[in-house]
Amino acid sequence: MASMRRALLVIMLVATSAQAQTTFIWDGIYTEAQATRGSEDFAAHCARCHGADLGGTGEAPALSGPKFLSDFDGLSLGDLFDRIRTTMPQDNPGSLTRDQVADILAYLLKANALPAGTKELDRRSEYLKAIAFTAAR
Amino acid sequence: MRQTLALGAALAVLAGICGAGAQTANVDWTGYTGDITGSRYKPLDQINASNFSKLEVAWRFKTDNIGNRPEYKLEGTPLEVGGVVYATAGSRRAVIALDAATGELLWVHGEKEGARGAAAPRQLSGRGPAYWSDGKEARILYVTPGYRLVALDARTGQRIPSFGTNGAVDLKADTDQTIKPDLTSGEIGWQSAPTVVGDKVLVGSAFREGFTPTTADNNKGSARAYDVRTGRKIWEFHPIPRKGEFGYDTWLNGSAERTGNTGVWTEMTADPEAGLVYLPVESPTSDFYGGTRPGNNLYGNSLVAVDIETGKVKWFYQFIHHEIWDYDMSSPPLLMDITVGGKPIKAVAEPSKMGMLYVFDRITGKPVWPIVEKKVAKGDVPGEWYAPTQPIPTKPAPYARTGVSENELIDFTPELHQKAMALVKDYKIGPIYTPPVVSKPGGPYATLSLGAASGGTNWPGGSFNPQNHTVYTYACNSCLLAMGLVPPPSGMSDLPYVIGQAGQPVVMINAAGADQGADAPLVRRPIPAAGGGGRRLSVDGLPLIKPPYGTISAINLDTGMIEWQVAHGETPDYVRNHAALKGKPLARTGQTGFSIGTLLTKDLVIAGDAEVTTTPEHPRGAMLRAYDQKSGKEVGSVLMPAGQSGSPMTYMVNGKQYIIVAVSGGNYSGEYICYTLPNG
Repeated sequence: MASMRRALLVIMLVATSAQAQTTFIWDGIYTEAQATRGSEDFAAHCARCHGADLGGTGEAPALSGPKFLSDFDGLSLGDLFDRIRTTMPQDNPGSLTRDQVADILAYLLKANALPAGTKELDRRSEYLKAIAFTAAR
Repeated sequence: MRQTLALGAALAVLAGICGAGAQTANVDWTGYTGDITGSRYKPLDQINASNFSKLEVAWRFKTDNIGNRPEYKLEGTPLEVGGVVYATAGSRRAVIALDAATGELLWVHGEKEGARGAAAPRQLSGRGPAYWSDGKEARILYVTPGYRLVALDARTGQRIPSFGTNGAVDLKADTDQTIKPDLTSGEIGWQSAPTVVGDKVLVGSAFREGFTPTTADNNKGSARAYDVRTGRKIWEFHPIPRKGEFGYDTWLNGSAERTGNTGVWTEMTADPEAGLVYLPVESPTSDFYGGTRPGNNLYGNSLVAVDIETGKVKWFYQFIHHEIWDYDMSSPPLLMDITVGGKPIKAVAEPSKMGMLYVFDRITGKPVWPIVEKKVAKGDVPGEWYAPTQPIPTKPAPYARTGVSENELIDFTPELHQKAMALVKDYKIGPIYTPPVVSKPGGPYATLSLGAASGGTNWPGGSFNPQNHTVYTYACNSCLLAMGLVPPPSGMSDLPYVIGQAGQPVVMINAAGADQGADAPLVRRPIPAAGGGGRRLSVDGLPLIKPPYGTISAINLDTGMIEWQVAHGETPDYVRNHAALKGKPLARTGQTGFSIGTLLTKDLVIAGDAEVTTTPEHPRGAMLRAYDQKSGKEVGSVLMPAGQSGSPMTYMVNGKQYIIVAVSGGNYSGEYICYTLPNG
């Protein structure tokens, strides 16, 4: 019984610390410099379909605004990263490097008024999976 | 594989003998719409109002590996015959055969088409295959992205060598026109499912989107019937008449010779007893500017009933004269037997992007209720030719919004409405058939239209219950399009105008899925100037148009009355959680979208949400919903991992009912999900 209680306590501690460590897209997870690099990559590889202002065109949806945020609400930033990495641009998927994808993602976050911080966005989707994509702060 | 299949067949026979309900132990879904009448109806009720919410996943089939890249736009409706499910799938548009009870993959057949596949105007998985059997042998027929009609042995997935040339007919070569510039890159294809009528198989034609065509003199649409045994062409219908054919003179200045498109891109239906095939014809080149083709342009935007043996026109009805709105004819014609004023009528009902249902005697073509030519506004685009009137049905009433006025604008709060009013000041608005304008800096930027291009009812079409003579159809009620015309940049097009916005670079609109099929090369193309920096048609991030954003309607065709209409789809998160709406009670808004098709069982209307949502009642996902056919009341729902992207179907195998629906979109790649009730 005692050992079970101890086990339970350990689980609770782990759960609490995991909760405390949850990072959100609102937590300043990219840098301004990264977003600036990303804006150049976006113009070169994404704007043709998604629009120079990320507003979408007849071919592809908008990547800024409340609808975009709510489309990915409840997923992780890694999910969005992998969607870009594995399928974009649609006429040449897999052609962007992970660094480019991370930069473009930083630009999307900035365009959606999410705050910048001091640390660059990681290029590994496994790490980005730990960042929660929540439409509301 | 063959052994597995033989075992399955034996079990099916056994179940047929032993099962108590031998009559209903197996119910097949043999064509894209469940049959060749467009119904999407099976009178099954094992899954019903009392248990719909208990549905469980029987199996799922992820389509990622059917092609060299995943697809996020899975639009197929599978077939089911004799315990085997057949569907098109993946960026390769391969045909897959699955065990209907377990989902086990029995065979897969794909065609690598190289440059021809890469150039195809309509790529990705398409809407489905067709099934044919004479009781001895069985075949699966489908059209590849590169526009070949392929016949497969339904048991093995192998080509039938005696059909066409080694199992395939080259639809670009075996046609009355010479495809320009060549068979490899020539623009024509098809993404719909063929229709099998007796020993004939019907195929249509489609092109890129007509927003920014490179030439008015595009390849021409056609509809054809082939001998399902040999692959021999039996007839070909020319939706743009040739010199000497009826309707040629509705193209003034000989413009029939210099105009393309006018295909039959959606599903066709047939009445073998009447000996008629029903062809819904799309608009001519281009979708929004018709100055190069003065006249009414028959058979553009018409429903054409042709003789099943000869392809000769028996009757036709033109829904739009000289079309300049991209309304097309989007939906499979619904062949229904109705009773109006005590008189039985063999009818055909046509849902439309216009949000109006047109009903005819399908033998004579006579409208069941008068359709009146009404005067419409004339535009002022230089060089355009305007039809003075357009036909408007007197009954049924429109089942979706048909124009834009102040009354359709967002009105959650007076402030939001004022902002919307200010936004539309820069645009031309008006009732249906208000023509596009030349886009001017400072306004009007465009004509705002509801339903043009998107619908209303788009490619999924409607559905009907032959027992209660009622049409059930989804309609987008908020699909807004800005129709502004600008001169194309040098080298883009020989048309004087294409779709665009003054002061913004013109964006070439190709077609959904172009350059995304498995044959599309992985090479970098030059990046043209980015466009789309246009004005957003939203108010503080909320839709400019007020709810309901999308609806399902029940329209009784004995009376011509809309019996009920419900908002379809959960209120989107970005609306429900919007700061301006905090604390306001909000009725379900439905969702903006045009890819929703309905399935009918004995008593239910079944359709999924297009978008995912997260609510206090359910975690992130999209709901597959069931409504009572009589009342429209929602009686059950199931959570899906992504929105419905292909219309659902149902069947019964060994006494067990199943429902398959295609889901994809956003973060979720294409998947067929099969639902059934828990055992016991």
